[in-house]
Amino acid sequence: MKTVVITGATSGIGFEAACAITAQGMRVIGVGRSAERCERAREALLSGMPEANVDFVCGDLSSQREVHAVADAILSLLGDEGLWVLISNAGGVRSWYTTTADGYEMQFALNHLAGFLLAHRLWPRLKQAGGRIILTGSNSHKMARMHWKDIMFQRRYSCLMAYKQSKLCNMLFAAELNRRQSAVKAYVVDPGLVNTDIGNKETSGLVDVFWKLRKRGGVDPEVPAQTYAFLCSRQPAPEGLYYHNCRSVAYSKRVNDAADAKRLFELSEQLCGVKFGGGEL
Amino acid sequence: MMVLITGACGGLGRAMASECARRGFALFLTDICELGLESIQQGLTRQYGVMVYTHVCDITNEQQVAAMFERISGMEQKPGMLLNIAGIDHEGGFAALPEDRIIDIVRLNIEATLRVTHAALTVRDRAKRFIIVNVSSLASLYPMPLKATYAASKRFLLDFSIALGQELKHENVSVMALCPGGLPTTDEALQGIAAQGLWGSLTTNGLGLVARRTISRALAGRRVYIPGLVNRMLSILGAFAPPALVARLLHRRWQHAQSQWLPSLQ
Repeated sequence: MKTVVITGATSGIGFEAACAITAQGMRVIGVGRSAERCERAREALLSGMPEANVDFVCGDLSSQREVHAVADAILSLLGDEGLWVLISNAGGVRSWYTTTADGYEMQFALNHLAGFLLAHRLWPRLKQAGGRIILTGSNSHKMARMHWKDIMFQRRYSCLMAYKQSKLCNMLFAAELNRRQSAVKAYVVDPGLVNTDIGNKETSGLVDVFWKLRKRGGVDPEVPAQTYAFLCSRQPAPEGLYYHNCRSVAYSKRVNDAADAKRLFELSEQLCGVKFGGGEL
Repeated sequence: MMVLITGACGGLGRAMASECARRGFALFLTDICELGLESIQQGLTRQYGVMVYTHVCDITNEQQVAAMFERISGMEQKPGMLLNIAGIDHEGGFAALPEDRIIDIVRLNIEATLRVTHAALTVRDRAKRFIIVNVSSLASLYPMPLKATYAASKRFLLDFSIALGQELKHENVSVMALCPGGLPTTDEALQGIAAQGLWGSLTTNGLGLVARRTISRALAGRRVYIPGLVNRMLSILGAFAPPALVARLLHRRWQHAQSQWLPSLQ
């Protein structure tokens, strides 16, 4: 049975993706921050599909210590099996500059570094299965550039700029993985505008009000969930990097900047204290 | 220069440590939380490549503070700056809180800060300049119902800082009190600011900016830093308004904010 790991699986897009993927008969290991919400999500999944093979691992991915703990728990659930897909979907928005336990800016750490580190830890199992990695991106990456001089926005924080940059990081990371000709294919899903609480969780004031208004125009999270299910099940592995509504779509030219992608990859290795194998992954 | 920071694993402590590391200062971080110290040490070393020492210490404990300063006095480089960030507040009215929780506030905010400051002044390198930053609060500027003990403890730190600065002016020591309004340090603090509505947003200042200016102003020898224009205006108003009137207004505001916020915490 193929196994799919989904982070941020207790609500929104991650939860619906978990439903769609278990419906295809795959095993799902969900990751969530709160033990209570993990249990609730597991029960909700099983109530719709009693025969589903679902586990949840609890951890706050903004802290690298907890990313390692989550990776350990996933590896022990996998036994000696390979991992078919890692869906790195957990993410968040912060109105203000805040730091993680490691002293990194929250959105950069949670939306990018956490997925990078988890991918590194699970890499041998992904390779073993000849699997895939899917990141949750956003069309807003098209409006972003890399702020190399102040990548954590310590000097001048803008909630939206930090968010967009973190989504560009997802694209650059996936592009770099594919460029390194790995046995694992990397994709980014653009979920489109989706009616979830991402902009209301740890935000206040304008961001909160703005997102409450904007999300009304969004689709339900079941819609993008189909794209994840498509990328998990399609054989042979689909070409392309960036998917919206099960179709490969255009993305920002900045994503093709190999120098930026390499620089981000190496910086992320440095900030996570890890090293992917040199040359071919 | 090496900077000694207490409460280094909290939201403000981490932001200050990060700002100091960005400036290339070496760090000596202390906190009660061992895992937190490991994380922040690792993160700052990776990000900035500066020297980061850590020491787990409950600064309300005399022996532990003595042991920490014994280690510091054996080090070649002595701290040139002390950031007294460790502090605490327990939400709730005075009579409603258990007595030990109230005493905790004074033991950490006042007693422990005095203990660390005294020890740091004793081990300092007298040939060099020494800078102390005490984290007071905008709350120090008024009597504050529902935060009576906390606000008074912060008032202590404000007056103490100004007086100590004067006392040690000719010994090449400068002391600054930082009086921030709301600081969005953690996800809980963000929820608290959201619960205060517009007032919350107006009196809140970004952590990156506050950290940067705090260090700049402390290096420049300033005595008090109140971040944010709205907060500075409030402090001026507070100086002229009768304390009883301010207390009445603030009581209403905190009652409202706590009724919004506290139920969601429990």
